Amino acid sequence: MTEAEAISLFKCLADKSRLQILKSLAVEDMYVERLAERLGLTAPTISFHLKKLSDAGAVTACKNQYYMMYSLNREIFRTSILEILQQESDEAGEQEQRDADYRQRVIDAFFEYGKLKSIPTQLKKERIVLEVIAEAFEFDRMYSEREVNIIIADFHDDFCTIRRDMVGEQLLGRNGREYWRIKRD
Amino acid sequence: MMGQQGKLELYLEEQIEHCKKRSKQLAADERMDEGNFEKVRANVYEIFKTILSAAEKVCGKDDLARKHFFLQKVEEIPANWMTSYEKAKQHGDVEKMHIENIKLDTIREIKDRCTQIWEETT
Repeated sequence: MTEAEAISLFKCLADKSRLQILKSLAVEDMYVERLAERLGLTAPTISFHLKKLSDAGAVTACKNQYYMMYSLNREIFRTSILEILQQESDEAGEQEQRDADYRQRVIDAFFEYGKLKSIPTQLKKERIVLEVIAEAFEFDRMYSEREVNIIIADFHDDFCTIRRDMVGEQLLGRNGREYWRIKRD
Repeated sequence: MMGQQGKLELYLEEQIEHCKKRSKQLAADERMDEGNFEKVRANVYEIFKTILSAAEKVCGKDDLARKHFFLQKVEEIPANWMTSYEKAKQHGDVEKMHIENIKLDTIREIKDRCTQIWEETT
């Protein structure tokens, strides 16, 4: 389901009469007059709602002798809301670019000639700074604490805080004596 | 005793009030589209309330001239709505068709009720 389709469906469902129609169709297929009688609405009003539901893909229609029978599109309702939320956004590219721009602004603000000017107070910004420092570590290699301190000291004098925070942020792993760079999923 | 003009005005005002009240109730009941349909109805009654005032200004106290003026508008105005309905039908625009239908139904009701009031008072 695309974002546009999801929005159209949610907008369509946010109406009590349409919800009542769907509930009725969940019981059995029905034609306009039957729904009108059951829900106490006029046939033209039911037709209006059915058109909206049909456009949103919530119901299907088929001709049955003299009447147009409406059915619930059960397939669409089997999709969970979480599945819809987990689908890639239509704006994913733009969001990614905005995130990259923000990251670069933080790096530009806190690093000067490869040195960290200060440790950011905001966790989100500190995380970015720590990720940059983590790039100085190789994957699949064990480091002694001394080696870790030397690498971090190239960026900032307070290597103790940074080392501790890198472990806390799960950028570095530690087994008591040695450290290693943790791979991200 | 209330004259034709007064009765007609009262009828239209009552309908406007009823539609507005119903629209609010429907909106509060999360039935926004139906609430909007009531606003459409109220709007038609408003139009004819204005026409009634215009009839009084144009025709003065002449009951027959006022009735003629009013009924002429009742015939003229829906012509555009009918055209709009047909156009919507051609394009399968169910929403527009439904709205135009509501307007046409309301005007039919106004015409019947006004004719009844005129017959009662003459």
